[in-house]
Amino acid sequence: MADQIFFWDLFVGGLAIGCVYSLIALGITMIIRATGIIHFAQGEVMMLGSMSALTALWLLPSLPAVVVLLVGMLASGIISVAMEFLVYRTLRVRRIPIMNVITATVGMSILCINAARIIWGSEPLRYPDLFGTLAYTFAGVRVSPQLVWIMVMGLVIMGILQLFLKHTRTGLAMQAVAQDPDAAQLMGANLTKIITYTFAIAGMMAGAAGVMIGSLFFSFFQMGFITGIKGFIAATLGGLGSLSGAMLGGILFGLIETFAGVFISSAYKDGIGMVLLILILLFSPSGLAGLWKRRR
Amino acid sequence: MSAAPDLSPHLSRSNLGATLVFVALLLLFPLFSTNSFTLHMMSLVAINAMVALGLQLLFGFSGQLSIGQAAFYGIGAYTSGLLTTKLGVPFPVAFFASGLAASAASLLMVPITRLSGVYLAVSTIGFSILVHLLLKNEEWLTGGNFGLIGIPRVSLFGYTLRTPAYSYFLCVGSALVVYAALLRLERSRFGRAINAIRQNEDAARSSGIAVTLLKSQCFVIAAFVAGLAGSLYAHQVRYLGPDDFTFWKSIEFLFMVVIGGMGSLFGAVLGAAFVVLLPEWLREIGDYRMLVFGALIVAVMLFGEAGLAGFLRTMARALRSALGRTVGRGQPRDAVSDPLPSKRDSNV
Repeated sequence: MADQIFFWDLFVGGLAIGCVYSLIALGITMIIRATGIIHFAQGEVMMLGSMSALTALWLLPSLPAVVVLLVGMLASGIISVAMEFLVYRTLRVRRIPIMNVITATVGMSILCINAARIIWGSEPLRYPDLFGTLAYTFAGVRVSPQLVWIMVMGLVIMGILQLFLKHTRTGLAMQAVAQDPDAAQLMGANLTKIITYTFAIAGMMAGAAGVMIGSLFFSFFQMGFITGIKGFIAATLGGLGSLSGAMLGGILFGLIETFAGVFISSAYKDGIGMVLLILILLFSPSGLAGLWKRRR
Repeated sequence: MSAAPDLSPHLSRSNLGATLVFVALLLLFPLFSTNSFTLHMMSLVAINAMVALGLQLLFGFSGQLSIGQAAFYGIGAYTSGLLTTKLGVPFPVAFFASGLAASAASLLMVPITRLSGVYLAVSTIGFSILVHLLLKNEEWLTGGNFGLIGIPRVSLFGYTLRTPAYSYFLCVGSALVVYAALLRLERSRFGRAINAIRQNEDAARSSGIAVTLLKSQCFVIAAFVAGLAGSLYAHQVRYLGPDDFTFWKSIEFLFMVVIGGMGSLFGAVLGAAFVVLLPEWLREIGDYRMLVFGALIVAVMLFGEAGLAGFLRTMARALRSALGRTVGRGQPRDAVSDPLPSKRDSNV
């Protein structure tokens, strides 16, 4: 029985952290599909959102959790759009090759990390308890409220994104651009505008992830890069082709990481995910989506 | 293949003189600068340039994006460090053993050369993270976080290289040898074949090029060079910690190639100098150092894929036409935006 409870604890923890990776992976996938850019600064967008939300909490300590989340999303959305507007668009307009744009995103990420260190200092910053401390009990398993709310909010945000993409004109245009930018433009989609929207939504997803990670662990100027890489890996695991792939990839990566960390080796927690990733890519060079397609 | 674009016009015969002057300046550098810190930094530039040259072959020539070179660099460094400290192996043996160890590790990566673009990049990042974790956690072998200390100075044929100038010569000499070797390789049949693979893999395969074999060979060569550089690094710094070989270091090597200019060996050297020296020069501005570094990287990207090498070439051309030697030979801006006869696609 104790083993079972332990298992479910880990499972919920893995799902929650997986939701966070999913949100980041979604942003990365959307940006890759619309522009071809591997956005290495996505983790930093997340970090800045987390920091901004924390600052809002310092100024107004009684903010409800949902508002804090929205502040983080808004801040990250604005930062992401600013990056695209000031840097990536400039490079794109000048027809700079995509590899240089990708390198510029790493440059942006160095810039953001160090700006954050100057503004917020280099100490890890603790979030106040956003969701109370009373544990929920499901069928005899006690679960931390943080984890439950992170999962709920993550799923709600991803649900809203799906609805937006499927049922609004802008969403449909974004999907069209993701599939084939040139054809979409010929069909009358405003590419520049759609790319701006893509960055805005990707930024908002990252901001939500930032608030969630902050409330789980800390806010820290270096929290972004490795998380961004993990999001990127989760996105690749999902195949980079579809948004549901990114979501599944994120959740799967979170679960693998959590279970591998406990059952195999905590020192190699990050490494096991990598081995698995390389193996999956070897068997199916386009991620889990490829595996899925081959089966059918 | 006779119409293959010459990817390094900076080293065409007309520039042979410039190259010789550059090499001479490099070799005479210790005469002008006796500051041991400067020499140490220049040695580090040479060491990093070796890895960047290897990556230029892998990415710039054959089009395979690897963000994992720090793994091979680290394997080389630890191999050399361990062989000399624990087994007392002489340096020349340890040096080549490092290269071999790194290339042996890269053989593990051969299956993934069939991946392309983003998928290859992710797997190599994964490999880099994995090797960093191994270096950090296998304490019985690598000393873990505590690191590997007491690595001896290089000694060659009974002479220990005690002064910074000698180790400078060793590092710069090795880098020059690697440069020359890769330059020959670039112009060989092999070089033309991998150039064809980069431009169009299917077309290359259909003209009888053994794509997978050549791509794997590029991986092994790049890893071998990175391993050699790692060995030099181990004896230059004489202390190894796992955090010198994180995937962040891999990204730095990628920076060197892209900043210096894709497909240009000289660019890789320039890029290495940029990435190694700039943070040192910016030390005076303290906290804002890396902020400015990040901004500069973004700014250099405006030069396009020809990078710093292309920028220098343009400047040289502008200077020459200003001096009136060649009149009206192309506008500088064109050279920046379209530096190569063929359009490269980066496969990403």
